[in-house]
Amino acid sequence: MSKPSRLSRPFFILLLLLLLYGLWIFSRPAEEPSQPLVRSRLLMGTVVEITAFGSPPDALERAVTAAFAEMARIEELMSPHRTGSDVARLAEAETEPVAVASETAEVITLGLTVAARSGGAFDLCLGRLKDLWGIETDHPRVPTPEEIQAALEGTGQKKLQVIDNTIVKHDPRSAVDLGGIAKGFALERAARVMEEAGIRHAAVNAGGDIRLIGDKLGGPWRIGVQHPRDSGKILARLALQDVAVVTSGDYERFFMRDGHRYHHLFDPATGYPADRCQSVTVVAPRADLADALATAAFVLGPKKGLDFLKSYPEVEGMIVDAAGQLTATPGLKGRTQ
Amino acid sequence: MTSSPDNPISREVLRRRIFLGLFAALAVALHTMEALLPSPAPWFRLGFANIFTLTALFLFGARAAWSVALTRIGVGSLFLGTLFAPGFFLSLAGGVLATLLMVVAKDLCGRKIGPVGVSAIGAAGHATGQMIVAWWLLVQHAGVWLLYPYFLLFALATGVVNGLVADYLLEILKGHPAFKEDRQGNPSSDLV
Amino acid sequence: MMIRDLLGRTTILDRAIVLVLAAAAVSLVFFQAGRPPGEKVIVERDGRVVFTAPLAVDRTVRLDGPLGPTTLKIHDGKACVTDSPCPLKICMGMGEVARSGDLVACVPNHLLIRVSGGREKDKEYDLLSR
Repeated sequence: MSKPSRLSRPFFILLLLLLLYGLWIFSRPAEEPSQPLVRSRLLMGTVVEITAFGSPPDALERAVTAAFAEMARIEELMSPHRTGSDVARLAEAETEPVAVASETAEVITLGLTVAARSGGAFDLCLGRLKDLWGIETDHPRVPTPEEIQAALEGTGQKKLQVIDNTIVKHDPRSAVDLGGIAKGFALERAARVMEEAGIRHAAVNAGGDIRLIGDKLGGPWRIGVQHPRDSGKILARLALQDVAVVTSGDYERFFMRDGHRYHHLFDPATGYPADRCQSVTVVAPRADLADALATAAFVLGPKKGLDFLKSYPEVEGMIVDAAGQLTATPGLKGRTQ
Repeated sequence: MTSSPDNPISREVLRRRIFLGLFAALAVALHTMEALLPSPAPWFRLGFANIFTLTALFLFGARAAWSVALTRIGVGSLFLGTLFAPGFFLSLAGGVLATLLMVVAKDLCGRKIGPVGVSAIGAAGHATGQMIVAWWLLVQHAGVWLLYPYFLLFALATGVVNGLVADYLLEILKGHPAFKEDRQGNPSSDLV
Repeated sequence: MMIRDLLGRTTILDRAIVLVLAAAAVSLVFFQAGRPPGEKVIVERDGRVVFTAPLAVDRTVRLDGPLGPTTLKIHDGKACVTDSPCPLKICMGMGEVARSGDLVACVPNHLLIRVSGGREKDKEYDLLSR
């Protein structure tokens, strides 16, 4: 008769221990460092994603929801197409003072400053021009030079005045469009809401325009900058915290007609899409400033644009010109691919 | 393999060889047939072939149990054409772990444990062995362990059933003329 | 009584073993509660990814497998199977999943639905500015 192998006993103990260890490992709750809350919503025509660290989870959830709500509110206020919004009412007004929300006044004030300092490269009154091109719609078209000239009436410097919370148009034809700055402002407001709720580490990403709060819990946020021509590559990777990063590029919203690319960043001097740059990335303490500066620098071109960015000491940026050449402000701690 | 006065093979050895051969063959047959049954999922096998591993263990001991188990896995997969396919490794891992645990449990607990207990342990080992191989070789995602509790419960249930059937089988066999000496201690002349 | 007959075939130790193992299995179900919340759902058929979606956006998706369409519903940050052509509907019984690493599988229909969290991202960057 066979006898059970004497090898079995220690073997069994070992195996049993292994089994128990395996059970234990896989049944424990994960003890990794805290995972962020990530939520996305469709806002301002793009996917807005908020990544936030903190606890307790329900307070975090509430803060993120409040941030989204604030962005939706700003969108309501500044969208040219929502009837009753500040921007819509401004378009319909003539030269009488128009009462607006304090946020709108704040945005227009900042916009006018950037407009002045950029020599008109940034313009808040391109509403009629944008409607003419239909760049935000499903049916964009290339307008005739006459149409463009007509649409350029009411644009240019010194067409708007801000008095407390009222706006006065000096030219009744001016159509205010805050597209080059409103998204940044919404990001800034969302960040403010979260900071007030006690969140110290978060990132709000509105389709590539980013506002960072704090760092990524143990290290800076790694921000990649999209290569303007190769969608699979990045231009640079920046290690950042507590700042806003906004990129304006000719690849984000455009249409092709007769082999030519027409995008959404217009040069107020010509009425046509600006063609001196492929993309501009601005890093600034505030997202609304970054947004406006990126738009202005894009129009100004690689040389003037870079000088313009350098005139803001708290701002860094990089520009890819029409030929694909990359230049950057000295303070940018990036790594180009 | 005949016993003659000049070359007597002991009754025990003969009995053991015949029955083990029978068990192994039946185990392979059951394993193969089970594979043909419609199953909700590829891994959820009823494992009835284990009845014979159990019976061999209780009748003839550990080495016998290993023979039946390994034969069943090897020949069974040959018949099914799954030798060295992923399913084979699952079956092998499950079978080896199960048999190991069963053999040692029987060794440790002796008379205090019956076929049902041994089979339950074996079933748990089988499920766990399969789970480990599935995680390591196939899915490689820790989330697969989410399935483990259900897998385990299902295996336990079939393990208990197998154990009860094996117990019944053992009872019948012990009453069989071939095993008469166990009851009376005298060899019977009725063999063959 | 048949049950008594059957029980008679077990020893005390047998019964203890079965009970302990069963209890362990059940308790494992509850242990798997503490995992980090996931971000997106990845659906694989036969090892190939056929669909992904963020958990944050509610949607209902039709996933096709050899047996027919399995319906995946993402709602309130959780995913579950609401309909499937498999015979035992185990996948529907698996309930809602939301945590990183959670799985729901319709094995007969060759579909594996898993929740992936932020840790799966080993890209070069956390966010892309464009």
